[in-house]
Amino acid sequence: MMITSILAFARNSEIRVKELYSPNYPIVTFRVMIETGSMNDPKGKEGLNALTILMLAQGGTKELTYKEIQERLYPLAARINYQFDKEVSVIIGEVHRDHVDKFYKIFSDLILNPRFDEQDFKRNKDLLLNYIRATIRSGNDEELGKQALVWFIYENHPYHSPEFGTVQGLSNITLEDVKNFYKKYFTQGNIVFGIAGSYPKSLVGKIKKDFAKLPKGKPESVQLPEPEKVNGLEFLLIEKETRSTAISFGFPIAINRSHKDFYALMVANSYFGEHRTFNGILMQKIRGQRGLNYGNYSYIEHFVQDGGSTFPVPNIPRRQQYFSVWIRPVENKNRHFVLRQAIRELEILVKNGLSKEDFESTREFLLNYSKLWVQTLNRRLGYMMDSDWYGIEYFIDKVQKELRNLTVEDVNNAIKKYLNFENIKIVAVTKDAQSYMQDLISNKPSPITYVSPVSQSILDEDKIIQEYKLNARAENFKIIPVDEVFEK
Amino acid sequence: MKKITLILMLLLSNLLFSQGKIFPFKINKVVLENGLTVLSVPFDSPGIIAYYTVVRAGSRNEVEPGKTGFAHFFEHMMFRGTEKYPEQVYNDILKRLGADFNAFTSADWTAYHIVASSDALETIIDIESDRFMNLKYTEEQFKTEAGAILGEYNKSASSPFLALYEKLQDLAFTTHTYKHTTIGFLKDILDMPNQYDYSLQFFDRYYRPENCAIVVVGDFDQKKLIDLIKKYYGKWKRGNFKPEIPVEPPQTEEKVGHIAWKGKTLPYLMIGYRIPEFSTKNVDRAAIDFVSELLFSRTAPLYQKLVIEKQWVDFIQGDAPDRRDPFLFIIMTRIKREDLIDSVKSEIFKAIEELKVKPVSKERLEQVKSYMRYSFAMSLDNPNSVAYIVGNYFQLTGDPESVNELYSLYEKVTPQDIMRAVQKYFTKENRTIVTLTEEKK
Repeated sequence: MMITSILAFARNSEIRVKELYSPNYPIVTFRVMIETGSMNDPKGKEGLNALTILMLAQGGTKELTYKEIQERLYPLAARINYQFDKEVSVIIGEVHRDHVDKFYKIFSDLILNPRFDEQDFKRNKDLLLNYIRATIRSGNDEELGKQALVWFIYENHPYHSPEFGTVQGLSNITLEDVKNFYKKYFTQGNIVFGIAGSYPKSLVGKIKKDFAKLPKGKPESVQLPEPEKVNGLEFLLIEKETRSTAISFGFPIAINRSHKDFYALMVANSYFGEHRTFNGILMQKIRGQRGLNYGNYSYIEHFVQDGGSTFPVPNIPRRQQYFSVWIRPVENKNRHFVLRQAIRELEILVKNGLSKEDFESTREFLLNYSKLWVQTLNRRLGYMMDSDWYGIEYFIDKVQKELRNLTVEDVNNAIKKYLNFENIKIVAVTKDAQSYMQDLISNKPSPITYVSPVSQSILDEDKIIQEYKLNARAENFKIIPVDEVFEK
Repeated sequence: MKKITLILMLLLSNLLFSQGKIFPFKINKVVLENGLTVLSVPFDSPGIIAYYTVVRAGSRNEVEPGKTGFAHFFEHMMFRGTEKYPEQVYNDILKRLGADFNAFTSADWTAYHIVASSDALETIIDIESDRFMNLKYTEEQFKTEAGAILGEYNKSASSPFLALYEKLQDLAFTTHTYKHTTIGFLKDILDMPNQYDYSLQFFDRYYRPENCAIVVVGDFDQKKLIDLIKKYYGKWKRGNFKPEIPVEPPQTEEKVGHIAWKGKTLPYLMIGYRIPEFSTKNVDRAAIDFVSELLFSRTAPLYQKLVIEKQWVDFIQGDAPDRRDPFLFIIMTRIKREDLIDSVKSEIFKAIEELKVKPVSKERLEQVKSYMRYSFAMSLDNPNSVAYIVGNYFQLTGDPESVNELYSLYEKVTPQDIMRAVQKYFTKENRTIVTLTEEKK
């Protein structure tokens, strides 16, 4: 007995390897998942996890400078990417099978023997600071709104700190901090090495041997308290000179992929606002019938779109998730109406649920659509690793199984249990935030006009929407200038 | 040591270049009597197909004044249904299939793409052929969609990129339709609700079989595919419209523009050099694609200097989009401080001048060729990307095999070709410069 448990302990502490072998696939993918994220950032050093990941993925090794690495990788067209999130981070390598050995040497060295060069540190820190100051604050209102919503939902919670840090947090970080963070979190028990494609079988043994150089064990996981309760409609208005208003709203939900009800909620969410499709109620009513903006979607877990596709990136698992709605920019004159409309649609969903017909068609959609989420081995590997993280069977298979067993009652019960339309955090990036606040508090009618005649049924519904009461109370508003978002 | 690397690389390049073709799959090509081209590629994706309808019309075709942005607008209208399959029915069918579907428009082409289960092939052919032959929408639907377009413009307008491209293209072109971006001028977008009749004309002109291709990639049966395509698209009537795209006269002097950006921003610098159209024959044009790698790839000395060593910019990029008519080589960078704009500009010019007088080493050239080959090979990892590539080369030249011709031409590019092309096209009188900085209060 004694011996077995020691062995089990030793096995637990060694690096885990997730394999997806495919002999005909010309590309080999590595996904190294480290179980550390922004929730591990010390107070006042927000961004330390992100910066550490960048120093590995976009830095040098003990042997080679960043520049020398670029030179070696260039003729292979090999790629090294990275992701950092709240709970885990990933370093991703992709190479043609012709060069897998050469590439693995550099890739593993980046993680095992990082250079931690002062110049690389300065460049990577600037990259994160400019992402906050120039990319999202000044160049992308939608992303700003979505990120600010997460920030707002998780006040006084380990998820509060943005994945990419804050301006002050990043400014406080030293290279010594990065080295210490690396030492603490890059341990054998804290890493999963995923590998997919036509790699030589001997590589797996080599990976295990090489990564055995890292310290054994696993640092203690951060305890997550329940997110603070949302009291009524809570507003965060971001004042910015902009020609349209970007709106995001949502609230924490108590389940993730490991919970049975998640799959019932998945059907409800798809019906309400499947990402980048025309299926959702929000999309049909706000854009399709009224042409008020470009798109409207909803989510039951944190969602980051994979490049130009419509699918989420894998490897952003979270123990706690949130429901959210993303309203793409609307004309400022329609911002009051559209918020009323979206929340009213949520009320209708919560109160009425789905009809049997809608349930059937949405389920059928998801049963087929979910198979498309894993069109490349790289993505399949990512989904496999996420499934292990949640402690569930392969997610795509689980979707098939759970959805087939669902009834419309299961879905409607889940809606009632987890969704609501009264306690919501709302973020809007807009100009003249003060007047938006006054409009919302006053609950005055917010009629809209159309450039062409629309059907009477839409006009009739508009009359209800324009008077729809939102419980917006003055004490529940925060207005901040855009420069203060993610400042500290 | 260096020699060994070079020989190794040459060996590997031969592996990738079986029978002189970069594209490793067979492209089946069938042309129907009405002129519709069907391109199909069997691909190892069990149970999945990608289905593209390629229309050789984009913002380049917007020749009449006041009609910018129309090709893109029209792409939206294609989702508004037919008599047989009204909008909601069309959506419901694709929803049941669990298909991933959408469309995009660029300067030269518009593509409607679906990824779905192989079992859905006939349904897809049925609903797609129907909307391309029998599209029908009311003036009200048309006007409502105009609102969505404005929303799309607004979502992009918070980013300096759209403003930069608008200014650069507006300055660099006087007569050609590349003067405007694909989404169009804001004034034209605002006027779109009034253009219902023109939209019908646009459909009539360009949505014709001889101007389109169907691309199918993945798991399908070739004979069944062709039979179904003939059955459903056979009655599609040929058109006869030939757009007269105005020819842009040569640029004779440097053009300069500036944007004062409301709100906080880092400074941006954009430089465009007039260059020839996409070609698989013109070695100058192929050589220009190497300039992108020699100056702006992560191993380029200019990139290393500006991003890694001096850290004056947080990104810099430069390349020549493939276009059917002469367009621009576009350089874009974001600079960390306003007082560095001139220094960054002069470093870029210095690097260009060096390419004119100093031949690139054989070893470096070989590295670039290796990169281009492997980068292409790695992009072929799913049916959707393969269909995109086939569609793109079809729209550029009318023949998807042009991808193989292009990469064969790349193999022939010499250091002298690059020097000559840079001398010829990267000149002061051939360039347009746009800067964007925070508005001074």
